[in-house]
Amino acid sequence: MPIQLTSQAYCKMVLHAAKYPHSAVNGLLVAEKMKEKKKESHWEPVLCVDCVPLFHGTLALAPMLEVALTLIDTWCKENNYVIVGYYQANEHTKDSRPNQVAEKVAARISENFSEAAIVMVDNSRLRMSCFEPIVHIYDHHENKWKSREVTFDCFEDWSEAQKITSALLEGRSYESLIDFDNHLDDLRNDWTNPVINKSVLDLC
Amino acid sequence: MATISEMYDVGWEEMRDKLRKWREDNCRNSEQIVDVGEELISEHASKLGDDVWIIYEQVMIAALDCSRDDLALTCLQELRKQFPDSHRVKRLSGMRLETNTQEKRKISILKAQGKNAEAIRELNEYLEQFVGDQEAWHELSELYINEHDYGKAAFCLEELMMTNPHNHLYCEQYAEVKYTQGGLENLELSRKYFAQALRLNNRNMRALFGLYMSASHIAASPKVSAKVKKDNMKYASWAATQINRAYKLAGRGTKESKCSMKAVEEMLESMQITMS
Repeated sequence: MPIQLTSQAYCKMVLHAAKYPHSAVNGLLVAEKMKEKKKESHWEPVLCVDCVPLFHGTLALAPMLEVALTLIDTWCKENNYVIVGYYQANEHTKDSRPNQVAEKVAARISENFSEAAIVMVDNSRLRMSCFEPIVHIYDHHENKWKSREVTFDCFEDWSEAQKITSALLEGRSYESLIDFDNHLDDLRNDWTNPVINKSVLDLC
Repeated sequence: MATISEMYDVGWEEMRDKLRKWREDNCRNSEQIVDVGEELISEHASKLGDDVWIIYEQVMIAALDCSRDDLALTCLQELRKQFPDSHRVKRLSGMRLETNTQEKRKISILKAQGKNAEAIRELNEYLEQFVGDQEAWHELSELYINEHDYGKAAFCLEELMMTNPHNHLYCEQYAEVKYTQGGLENLELSRKYFAQALRLNNRNMRALFGLYMSASHIAASPKVSAKVKKDNMKYASWAATQINRAYKLAGRGTKESKCSMKAVEEMLESMQITMS
């Protein structure tokens, strides 16, 4: 069951990377919890409706990651979401393969959702125009993370995603994007990013 | 911010004597020399008599060590004014010029190229010379963390904590590294340092969460005695209360953060269950 990204999920990932262009960033991808009936259709893609930006800078420390995973898991349960993937943008733009941290988090996610995916954001191709998708998607096959070809099918609606992301980048919305690190610095910072969500909705 | 004389209740004579002792013992405690010397120079220069010149020299060298170029320049200018043709002063001038900027630039380039191993090696060499450069120690600790070399990262943070005992951030980061290293001993150490960070700044949320997590894990471990388990459940429970309180305070008035608060409450409750 491959994952598919909505405009909101894609846009917020890119905004997160744009806010911290010289650091590594990461976050979680969430989808709506499927009803029992739908689970049987294996060809149905899993739609990632949203993402939660987590950290920027050093990603390789455990305690806050554990807090974030537990907290967001609880939040998901309340909103009928499930964590289905993990995204990361590396600090050094030449390197877009999933590293140890990515694999560890993805393994953790897989405990709850067997088809967890890793999305690597390619910083080096970050542009205002966003003409092409700047993500690499990895699925777990035979104990290895294999890269999948990124086509427009990986998006619910690529032209909408492109339009919205480009508009928000130009409007510098990334300055107001909140990740979990920002939340820990000041609890009033809301990592669900309601303001940006609304902007996305308004542009749809 | 409190002055040295306020913090330690010392007069300028004691500060001057301390500097002399450090000169005589050839101490390399540049941070302290900068702290004491800067205050002495700015507040009490007129009282120091002829001693002031050797103090300027001492502070200047220490300032270079700590990347305090502003202070180094001030000292140098005073010395130049007083001893315009001195070879000794010319040598100090040279010291300032040949300083760290080139090495720092090289290290930044290596980092940008993703050559972490080389950047680490260069930073280590740099720090042998400029042992007081905080920023460099911190950068090195981050490089080590990214390379998953937590032991060496901890060492860097230990250096930073030693020279900055009041800095809650270093304490908290050290605790995070220890937690990541894992194992009961490291968990207990991490709990202690999260607690210490909280003592230094009781609003550090990372330290609060860290205290909660580390104490919870210790309490849940089958290897600990009943007393240790009970103590850690107490710490975790205290931390949970503080966390809830912090969220309540932050959430006052906003509807959205109520969901955050609820999620936290539930998370804490569910962890309590796994602990007991």
